[in-house]
Amino acid sequence: MNERRTIESALSGSTLTGPDHFDYTPTAVMPDVKVVKVGGQSILDRGRAAVFPILDEIVAARKLGIQVVLLAGGGTRARHIYAIASELEVPTGVMATLGKYIPMQNARMLQMLLAKHGGIYILPDDFEKLPLYMQMNCIPVMSGMPPFGYWEKREEGSRIPPHRTDAGVFLSCEFLGSPRAIFIKDEDGLYTDDPKKHPAATHIPRITAKELIDRDLNDLVIERRVVEYLPRAKWCKQLQIVNGLKPGQVLAALKGEDVGTIISA
Amino acid sequence: MTIVGGDGRTHIQSNLMRESLQDKKVLSRTDSDRDLQIFPDVSLVMIGGQSIFDRGKAAILPLVEELIEIKKDKSLKMVIGVGGGTRVRHTVSIALDLGLPVGGIAQLVGAMEELNAILLNTLLAPHGSMPMQRDHFWDLPLYFDAGITPIAISVPPYHFWEPPPEHGNLPMHGSDFGMFQLAEVLSMKQLIFVKDEAGLYDKDPKKHTDAKLFKKTTLPELMKHLPEETILDRELFHAWTTAKNLKRVQIVNGLERGQLTRALRGEDVGTVITKDAR
Repeated sequence: MNERRTIESALSGSTLTGPDHFDYTPTAVMPDVKVVKVGGQSILDRGRAAVFPILDEIVAARKLGIQVVLLAGGGTRARHIYAIASELEVPTGVMATLGKYIPMQNARMLQMLLAKHGGIYILPDDFEKLPLYMQMNCIPVMSGMPPFGYWEKREEGSRIPPHRTDAGVFLSCEFLGSPRAIFIKDEDGLYTDDPKKHPAATHIPRITAKELIDRDLNDLVIERRVVEYLPRAKWCKQLQIVNGLKPGQVLAALKGEDVGTIISA
Repeated sequence: MTIVGGDGRTHIQSNLMRESLQDKKVLSRTDSDRDLQIFPDVSLVMIGGQSIFDRGKAAILPLVEELIEIKKDKSLKMVIGVGGGTRVRHTVSIALDLGLPVGGIAQLVGAMEELNAILLNTLLAPHGSMPMQRDHFWDLPLYFDAGITPIAISVPPYHFWEPPPEHGNLPMHGSDFGMFQLAEVLSMKQLIFVKDEAGLYDKDPKKHTDAKLFKKTTLPELMKHLPEETILDRELFHAWTTAKNLKRVQIVNGLERGQLTRALRGEDVGTVITKDAR
């Protein structure tokens, strides 16, 4: 009588913690959607001069029938709250929760600018409505921050949440089954060092995640977690970083052209 | 507040201004060896889905009676979470067969835990309990003042954004991990798992009669030979390794009356895992 009542299934009685041995054939959810990050510090903090031309190219792509979802980064206000919260020694999960608010503001700014072209602000809970927005030719805009919040794990040697808006873009692509995540920044892509501080740094047009990890660079243009996840992704096998300050780059990337830097699994 | 321009971007003065948050040196400046302690006198109790709820009335009611007794001690601050059990396993096996992405599976499973949370609350409500909204921790002092035991959501909100797993196709961040993270971020006193075994074994005691019980161990000891199948999510142990706050995780047998009460009083029943050697 006092027995476990189990539903018969391939995992009945399993602890779900050991290795699984399933024949798993992944199904892509919305593989044609391009998830695009608009950088916070790199783009939005530059204001009109940087933002307007990029949005023009995104609208042009949408008119060509390319399905685009925009995810916003944080930028200098995120750095400001992270700096103050770090002084107070708040746990990483609280830092990640604080980090949600600025990308939300930035996403709302983008939505206001894109409203006349079908820009629509969405929350993580609206993700299942993407098919509707795509059929209506909308440009959904949301925060790039994944919804982990208080459940964000600490990373050794840092109080900053390791999954930020780059991770949100990659993980969105991976869920949707989209093969390439696009990151609009203010550099041509990956360099051997931060080109803003080291003018001698050289551009890297193509690299694999493994080569990048092996270089063990002190700094990177993209969140480390994303580079670490890339080799085990089922769908999103490429990260493309493009320079939004150079006219034509964003549209070229949305058309699938290999501009900027491409990091492959 | 100082606004700084000059490079085309507009910055606010802070010690992270203009910095790359990928730079290891910059990141290390944000860290210290402690976290602000938020609720250090609160215990978190996780009641197993397969181990308790799937056994039905015979296992659930005695445990609820014990919880009602425990609640009479008003100085004891406790949050409860519940697992989903066999319905989670059924969900996952169907979802895997359909080829749903790992984020899709992570999005689905929480609903099965919620059913057990509603059941438990239905039984405990006459004695003071309430389901707690996802991250409404800041209401906890209010709950405790009023003698209400909050029932928390155990599955972490990774949802569609669940990272690709290191091995296999199952989400890494399950309800045990979710409970761990809740206890960790709020720097709680202890995390107690209520299961249907005497504690943690080196292999599944339901399949192996020669399985050996760990009575008292430390996390570093356990990590040296982490069993392939454990009674708790593996990610819990991995996350605990880099965590700062939680000192003690205990696993007790909920089919044996009094075990949970003793664990809440700090007694070494079942399996006690401490973060460091004491």
